[in-house]
Amino acid sequence: MSHETQQRKCSRDGAQVGSSAQSCLDPYLRCAFAGAGKTLAGVLDACLVLHSPQGCHGLIGDALGSQRVDFSEAQVVSSKLCETEIVYGGEERLKETIREAQSYGAPYVFVMSACGPEVVGDNIAAVCEAMTRECGVPIVPMECAGFRGNEYQGIDLALEKLLDFAAREAIPKMPRSVTLIAPHASANPGWPADLAWVRQVLGEMGVTVVSVLTHKQDMQGIARTPAAEASLVLSHDAGGRIADRLAEQYRVEPICRDLPLPIGLTNTKRWLEALGERFGARQAAEGIVEEGHRQVIRAIRLRGPDIAFYHRVEAAVAADATIGIPFLRFIAEDLEGIPSCVFLRSCPEPARELLTRELADLGLAADVALNADAYDMKQGLRRVRPDCIFGSLTERHLAQELGISYSFRVVSPTGRFHMIDRPYFGYDGILTILEVLQNEHQDRWLSRAKRYQAMW
Amino acid sequence: MDSCDYIVFQGTLAEYLRRVEAGELASKLQASHAPPCKFQTAAAVISGINNVVPIVHGPRGCAQSLRGARVAGCQYRGRPYEPTLCTALDESQVVFGGEGKLARAIVEADRRYHPDLIVVMSTCCPGITGDDIEGIAEQLRGRVRAEIATIRSEGFGGDFRSGHEDAFRVIVDLMEPPKETIPYSVNLVGARVGPSYTEVREDIQELQDMLGQFGAKLHGVIAGGCTLAEIKRAPCAAVNTSWCFDWGRRIGLLMQERFSVPFCESGLPYGLGATADWVLKIAEPLGLLSRAQELIARETERITPDLEEARRLLAGRRALIETGPMRAIALARMAAELGMQAVIFNMHPYTLRERKEAIQFLLDSGENPEVVLTRGAFEMGSYGASKQTQDEMEALIGDARDWVYFGTPARFPGVPLVNLATEIGQPHFGFTGVKNIARRASSAMRHAHRERSGLMRQAMYGVAIHGDLF
Repeated sequence: MSHETQQRKCSRDGAQVGSSAQSCLDPYLRCAFAGAGKTLAGVLDACLVLHSPQGCHGLIGDALGSQRVDFSEAQVVSSKLCETEIVYGGEERLKETIREAQSYGAPYVFVMSACGPEVVGDNIAAVCEAMTRECGVPIVPMECAGFRGNEYQGIDLALEKLLDFAAREAIPKMPRSVTLIAPHASANPGWPADLAWVRQVLGEMGVTVVSVLTHKQDMQGIARTPAAEASLVLSHDAGGRIADRLAEQYRVEPICRDLPLPIGLTNTKRWLEALGERFGARQAAEGIVEEGHRQVIRAIRLRGPDIAFYHRVEAAVAADATIGIPFLRFIAEDLEGIPSCVFLRSCPEPARELLTRELADLGLAADVALNADAYDMKQGLRRVRPDCIFGSLTERHLAQELGISYSFRVVSPTGRFHMIDRPYFGYDGILTILEVLQNEHQDRWLSRAKRYQAMW
Repeated sequence: MDSCDYIVFQGTLAEYLRRVEAGELASKLQASHAPPCKFQTAAAVISGINNVVPIVHGPRGCAQSLRGARVAGCQYRGRPYEPTLCTALDESQVVFGGEGKLARAIVEADRRYHPDLIVVMSTCCPGITGDDIEGIAEQLRGRVRAEIATIRSEGFGGDFRSGHEDAFRVIVDLMEPPKETIPYSVNLVGARVGPSYTEVREDIQELQDMLGQFGAKLHGVIAGGCTLAEIKRAPCAAVNTSWCFDWGRRIGLLMQERFSVPFCESGLPYGLGATADWVLKIAEPLGLLSRAQELIARETERITPDLEEARRLLAGRRALIETGPMRAIALARMAAELGMQAVIFNMHPYTLRERKEAIQFLLDSGENPEVVLTRGAFEMGSYGASKQTQDEMEALIGDARDWVYFGTPARFPGVPLVNLATEIGQPHFGFTGVKNIARRASSAMRHAHRERSGLMRQAMYGVAIHGDLF
């Protein structure tokens, strides 16, 4: 049995960890409230009322950034609960805050309840109903307290409630159409560019995007979601639940669910071909693949290939499932590296199956940790001692402490400023990633000091 | 715009404080201007201790707000990666209680990370359901290697200042009665977040160096990257002083009361007179007055050319100051030293009420600058409010050309702007700070004829409707 195919280590799955370990978590993921905020911040024109103490506002600030909401357009108010409202109830304060929110003139108001008011039992639904009558615009309750789960579960929770509110009936199917689900559950710091690429290739295949759940999407578009023939989930971390529900309730067919997202040459090719097959656009898909392939080769050839570093180098992948799973094939095939350990911050069931299939297909016996926190990351890195890490800023610091020479910051948070969104998906995506890797590789060699003084 | 349309208050700081206390200028909502909650500010203080493991007893979102700051500590403050743990409470633990989970988390944290100190911080959920965090901590003391402290830091449990103050109180509880008083030793108290930046010089470093220059010895910076051992022996210092008067005052007075360590109370060392006061107030109880006076004379001579140039350019003008309240009051004094008439812009009533004791101290010390409060101050937190405040500031200045604005370049007041945000030439405290601010002020006056960036102005205040700017 070759080194690569030996079963080196079984998975350390958060779901199977003993209670003592689960009681003590150094988490990468935020709470359900933050995830719900990410989803709702993607609805155009909506105003968010946070029924919460003022600190929860910070989580929504991050959501607005993730959804690229212009700060001059953000409509977020908080009921800023204090002890008085926790003791005597915060429903009156909530009404007062909704009235304040109404002054923005938003056509929809989402009331997001945080831990405090949900624990004390504020009747948010009743307040929303009464205020809908008073204000004359829909006030939509979103019970999404942080304790309801992690941020990906919060995304799913908000997507379901959003659909319950907006899409209440089956409508005639639109031929060759798709709804795009949860693109923002991704650790690509420039994820809107991934979404833009998907829209572009769908357009080239003659496929209509009915709705994007959610990114700069108006409520009318969300209401049209049941008209889509198919759903395409652009995340391995969130969105699966709503895809299942759309299939069950409105016969919206989930597609490409069993494929890694289109990162790297092979993944992109397979994913595009599957889309082409589904929508009867095989020729268009082949054309995109051929041109994209040529474009990548040309770019690398003109600027000089950099393969020397990666060949048979043992690499750790520390990411979310959305980026982490497709990266395995990219590293193993395109860069000739050996993914020797995989630490994923989350990994819902369908993604686990996909990960297992990918590892088997690539003949890799990687050390795997699912739902990993920072402790799992450090212990895993200490155990495996990879040559390099494809991860975030956190792993970069862990690598420094552990004496691992190279840590490529490819997933959020990277600690790098990103003024322009760049895709990881598709052919430009391959070049984006290669550019990040090459810059980080060069940074490693930069002189921090001069050995002697200049004579002038 | 008519001034009566937008000016809510115009008068002296003393009169302003009186009206706030009388409830005539209360903010519209509780804590209306302060984004962080009690938990977040308490967490910032606790993060100033090395090798501490905070256990956030609550859902994971609360821990994330702290984790970002701790990773930033790795990036910029030379800290190793230290964990931010949470009990990640779920629905059932909220219903049935999370005490068992917390107890297991403490034991596990001790085993995994070998910290000197574990600080249990409660968040909204356990604060409401009544988890007995103090009881759990008590049960486990002695059964784990680390010391255990607890803070009731529920986000709803108080304003942002109460988080600072409760965390400093916990730190004082960790201190041991002094076995000796170390001559000439000084604690800087009231710091938080962690050690100072490794690459950019900060105010706190300037103050540390100043202490050494008149014979005092820095004993500890509480809690600016200190160890538990340093906290324990902090009461051995001869005196305490603060680097930020407002944050440091409570811990300084608490240590004075409990351990009889004198607290050298003075305003921020911002400007020549205030810096000299700060040095003298420390030097006097230490018996180092003559050396301190020598330092003041020496440093005054060093910075005089820059100060004179600034005075030449600024004297007779009006200073419009827009910064945090304590810094604004200090700057007002500095502006007066430069021959200017100072006006503090939009010091929020809430912030005044919360800092009442500190502000009263400054009033008692003779500082009573003019304050202008506009309607925009009551809408703080939204873009609309920021735009409104910008418009009100422009209306206030009008055609008058004798104003000089002290604050952030994010404002476009239409008059010379002294950039207090740039890190070029940091720090702003101490004698070097006077020199730096004087140079920034001179630069503002010399280049007052230059146009501001249309690009940045439109980005900050351009009308925006769904992506179409202007």
